[in-house]
Amino acid sequence: MSNRILSLLSVMAFASTAAAEVAYEFVPNFITPPPGKETIGDGHGEIAVDSAGNIYVSVQDKDPALAGLQMYGKDGKFIKTLPLPPSLHGFVIRKLGDGEHIYAAVLGEQKVIKCNLDGTVVMEIPTSAFPAEQRDFVSVTKTDDVDPKKKSPIASGLKIADSKEEITLKLADGTEKKIPKEKGVSAAGGLKLTNCDVAPNGDIYVVDGYGRSFIFVFSADGKFKSVFGGPDKPLALANAHKIFIDKRFEPARVMICDRGHKRMLHTDLAGNFIGEIATEMRNPSSASFHGDLMCVAEIAGNVSVWDNANKRVADLGTSPQMTNTPGIAPKDWQQGIVTSPHGITFDNDGNILETEWNKWGRVLKWNVKK
Amino acid sequence: MRLARSILILAAGGAVLAPLCVLGHGAEFLSAKLTLLPDAEVLLEITADYGSNPLIMDEAAALDALTDPVRLRQSETLVPLSNLGKATISQHHNWAEYAPAAYLPSDTEGEAHALITSAWRWRSAEPEIVFEMPKGKLHDLLLWTLDATQIEAPPKWMLLLAGDRSRPIPIQQTPWWRSWMAAAGAGGLILLSAYFVSRNLTLRQRTL
Repeated sequence: MSNRILSLLSVMAFASTAAAEVAYEFVPNFITPPPGKETIGDGHGEIAVDSAGNIYVSVQDKDPALAGLQMYGKDGKFIKTLPLPPSLHGFVIRKLGDGEHIYAAVLGEQKVIKCNLDGTVVMEIPTSAFPAEQRDFVSVTKTDDVDPKKKSPIASGLKIADSKEEITLKLADGTEKKIPKEKGVSAAGGLKLTNCDVAPNGDIYVVDGYGRSFIFVFSADGKFKSVFGGPDKPLALANAHKIFIDKRFEPARVMICDRGHKRMLHTDLAGNFIGEIATEMRNPSSASFHGDLMCVAEIAGNVSVWDNANKRVADLGTSPQMTNTPGIAPKDWQQGIVTSPHGITFDNDGNILETEWNKWGRVLKWNVKK
Repeated sequence: MRLARSILILAAGGAVLAPLCVLGHGAEFLSAKLTLLPDAEVLLEITADYGSNPLIMDEAAALDALTDPVRLRQSETLVPLSNLGKATISQHHNWAEYAPAAYLPSDTEGEAHALITSAWRWRSAEPEIVFEMPKGKLHDLLLWTLDATQIEAPPKWMLLLAGDRSRPIPIQQTPWWRSWMAAAGAGGLILLSAYFVSRNLTLRQRTL
């Protein structure tokens, strides 16, 4: 414990030194929810800013007036909701040679979409474009006849056939296993896409963060190119919640929020391990870049800011209690204290906006002190 | 960072929240329901979700996660739960019974959950118990404390990550007067028995 107190003191000392370079102040009640609503709606997504400074927040609420991609002005006032799927778990806004677009992973539909800023979908990477080896990996179980609550595993592997009578898996050792579709037999698994980003050459990187943490690379026109990561070595990822292309470095790197292992790490664009950025974090969930800085949403209750030497230069909104829940109601919110940060972005001026995993929906903002 | 976490853990107290969620995030940790029973009895029920959990893909992984999920700190030793006896294992779908209300699933995230609970029950010889997560543990542990002798008291919870230690948790010791009463009762019985025995002997001697 004494080591931790020493660590705390040293971080506080460092933060105060760094404060000359970077410091932030909380902006109370920044977001104005849609008319007639007290909050923005069920949040389990991301937040991003376009080149004009408009703010986009994905909301998965059951209320169709809230669900989709909500758009706010620079002043935090609601503008409109773009008619996009509600399950945009992760998205980025990037301006490349062909203009400015939203690139989003649609968790509920296991696909990636590229849209104009008005919400018009201009390209889609469907589930079928992903390699079968990851897309069709399933676990087959059987529900107990006597105790329907009990499920017994039968086998896991690549589903190569699925007829009315049986499921055929290709197992890790290369053999095939046919499993009769008796009562109670079912297969579950497949992709669970959580985020995507775009490399300088236009390649689109997509992560299967709620699945087996594989990272897929597609060309700018949506053709599959390669895959890396996953649960096995060398990267051995666990719940790689979101990935980002880190253009603070030349050449650009892939920054992976390896949330299960509470660490962030870099690979090159081909997926080769470069190094860990930080470990023992509060479960890093999302990140954004501005100049030499990176801000990180840590879902167990913290927002951190890092420089390009991988040094923590600020902590914002730190919850006095570890969280990681969407169940903290507005009556229990405290100004400037995060609950479960899930998405984060810098705006064009270096201010930080954060959206939470929260059933009522919450966005916090910290302005950079100039 | 772990600094603040330590403070939080120390400060972790009663939490008044809403329903519990498990999709994606919520299911990532193990939920440990600690019930403090009278007479120093302790019931620890640790639940893993393998229904939609990126860290626990199937039943085998769930059972593995429950093999050595947390340890008891006794002096300088970390004692595995397996030393307390064999765990009782059950499968179910009832999150509400095994995690605090603040963690119930969002109704827009209607994914299937498959739960396995391992339960250990023991009588503590220590007046307080302390849990510790060995370093390198993949699964966070939500430690949720209920006091069976004060049912109306709000439950307390804290999230433990690898390397974290819980605050000392006082157990429900047998009240001192109960042991004195038991001793007095036993002593009284012995005296009473002795009296009757000696009385019988005396009567027999007189009869003879």
